[in-house]
Amino acid sequence: MTAPPDNRASIRRRLFVTLFLPAAAVLSAGTVIDYLTALPPLTAAFDQALLESGLAIAAHVHTEPDGKLRLDLPADALAVLRADSRDSIYFRVGARDNTFVAGDPDLPMPSTAASNPGRLDAVYRGNPIRLVAYRTYAGNDEITVTMGETLHKRTDLRTRIIGSALATDVLVLGIILAIIWISVQLSLQPLRDMEKEIAKRSAYDLTPVGAGEPPTEVRGLVDELNRLFATVRDNAASQRQFLDNAAHQLRTPLAGIQAQVEVLCADEPDTKRRERLQRVLDAARRLGRTAQQLLMLARADQSARPDWQFEDLDLISIVESAVSDELGSAEAGGIDFGAELAAAPVRGVEWLLSEAAKSLTENAIAHTPAAGRVTIRCGELDGQPFLEVEDTGVGIPPQERERVLDRFYRATNTRGGGSGLGLAIVKEVADLHRAELSITSGTNDVGTRVRLTFRSQRTTT
Amino acid sequence: MRILIVEDDALLGDAVRTALESAGFAADLVGSAESARSALQTESFDLLILDIGLPRENGLRLLQGLRNRGKILPVLMLTARDGLSDRVAALDLGADDYMTKPFEVPELIARCRALIRRANAVASSTVTLGKLTLDIAHKEASADGQPLELTQREWAILECFALNAGRLVSKDRLMSTIASWEDELTPNAIEQYVSRLRAKLGAAARIRAVRGMGYRLDDGAA
Repeated sequence: MTAPPDNRASIRRRLFVTLFLPAAAVLSAGTVIDYLTALPPLTAAFDQALLESGLAIAAHVHTEPDGKLRLDLPADALAVLRADSRDSIYFRVGARDNTFVAGDPDLPMPSTAASNPGRLDAVYRGNPIRLVAYRTYAGNDEITVTMGETLHKRTDLRTRIIGSALATDVLVLGIILAIIWISVQLSLQPLRDMEKEIAKRSAYDLTPVGAGEPPTEVRGLVDELNRLFATVRDNAASQRQFLDNAAHQLRTPLAGIQAQVEVLCADEPDTKRRERLQRVLDAARRLGRTAQQLLMLARADQSARPDWQFEDLDLISIVESAVSDELGSAEAGGIDFGAELAAAPVRGVEWLLSEAAKSLTENAIAHTPAAGRVTIRCGELDGQPFLEVEDTGVGIPPQERERVLDRFYRATNTRGGGSGLGLAIVKEVADLHRAELSITSGTNDVGTRVRLTFRSQRTTT
Repeated sequence: MRILIVEDDALLGDAVRTALESAGFAADLVGSAESARSALQTESFDLLILDIGLPRENGLRLLQGLRNRGKILPVLMLTARDGLSDRVAALDLGADDYMTKPFEVPELIARCRALIRRANAVASSTVTLGKLTLDIAHKEASADGQPLELTQREWAILECFALNAGRLVSKDRLMSTIASWEDELTPNAIEQYVSRLRAKLGAAARIRAVRGMGYRLDDGAA
């Protein structure tokens, strides 16, 4: 829950790790220090209690008239002294020369030379024990009382201290974790908002981002991003300007040549000369068409197209205008020209789709011999709008169906004078509309069928 | 019918003028917005063919000036730009039609005729399409000056074509046009009427068919 599933650098994870790990380390160190500082007073308290018992025993050591030391304590009293719910208690009373007086004779003895009382941790009868020895006097005789105690009580208490300290620390750590988590989430919210804003944009949207006053830390990034957008936008604008100018500079003289030759052609009485003029006219028309297609491809190539307005269209109107444009040349080619139109709502750019429909129809008519059929269709198939043009012409060999989409590529069995740009344009337009372009043979394996299948309006909107 | 052409490209302007003249129009050619303005002030024209890309002052501004002064002259814009914005701007400013260079001269002439026809439609009930003339009020048609003998249904179909010249007319539309005369009308019957009409029109006009869609009437030149 703290880190994203991949291994890429995550600010959230980094913040989390750099905040949480030190906090955890400091808290753990605190726990250890608490424990270590709590331990000596604890040990001292237990030792003191043990020592009190020792002093009680020492008070009952007397010197016998024969000069011998003797512990004068009834068995009942001794039992009380030794009684403990958790631990076994041992004692030994020794004389000045450490000779045994009373108690457990083999009990180890801490030295009282350096400090009185002396303390020692040792193992007795197989168990770790704590020993406290105290040097004192019984009358005029120096005696040493040694008390020993197993460690159960001490261990229990120590465990309880550690347990409660750890529980507190875990709780505190949990709270810190929650605080850090919330704070990281809150601090990163502007970044996430921006991420969402950018993700929502179309790839061609070059308007500035970060309208909602981003925090100082990402301001720089946003500014750079916007500067980049502006540069791309300016480049696109100047390229558009260039293309517009190029279009103007090319088209006007072409229109002039074409119109002049048309006038000459219409006035020419000599058949042979008229045929020649007709050829010049055809070439001028092709040139005009190629210029138009090149400009159109150059525009479609622009990486940024902020001026492209996708709108809700019906393919019917686009197909109708393509049919209208090509009706004359279909008739001139002696072609049975047909249309089968059904409603096909798409979201697209009108002039691009019109250009694609025109190119497809133009191609079909150019590659279909007289008495052949060209049919243009649109409608919906399985909820997906489509546009297709089918002809009974020469067809495109299957191995060339990919290559005919390349610019200037012309199929080996092609006829007539095309530019080789038509299908490249169709492909470009299809890609821009995320439509699928398929080239197959026509009905009964005759001719060609080119189909553009658009995304269903229901899923794209 | 007099047409003013405003085109700064001499090669194109000259060709358009010659073509319009041989189509029976009187045509004048000027190369700038300024000379167009003075020509429009002194002379009377039936149509203005206006290039957008003129030196100094472009065609859109000239058009805007004309419309602001309330001039009702039909205007056909010529442009070398195919951007949507130019087209929208031109039509918004009150252009009646729009053609992108390069264009086919016969189409230009057909559109000029259509624009003039539309402008005169209120005043006259006569429709002229090349060599074909229809007198809507008297339901009479003539080709090359020769009256055509038409049945009622043929006339209705021809009238529907003529009023939509250059545009596709669907079979459904034709059927609804003549449905009042015949209760049971089949698409086949339409085809028969059209083929009879074709025979009567001869070379004066062409009826072009689009299988599955309908027909379009073009004048003999196109």
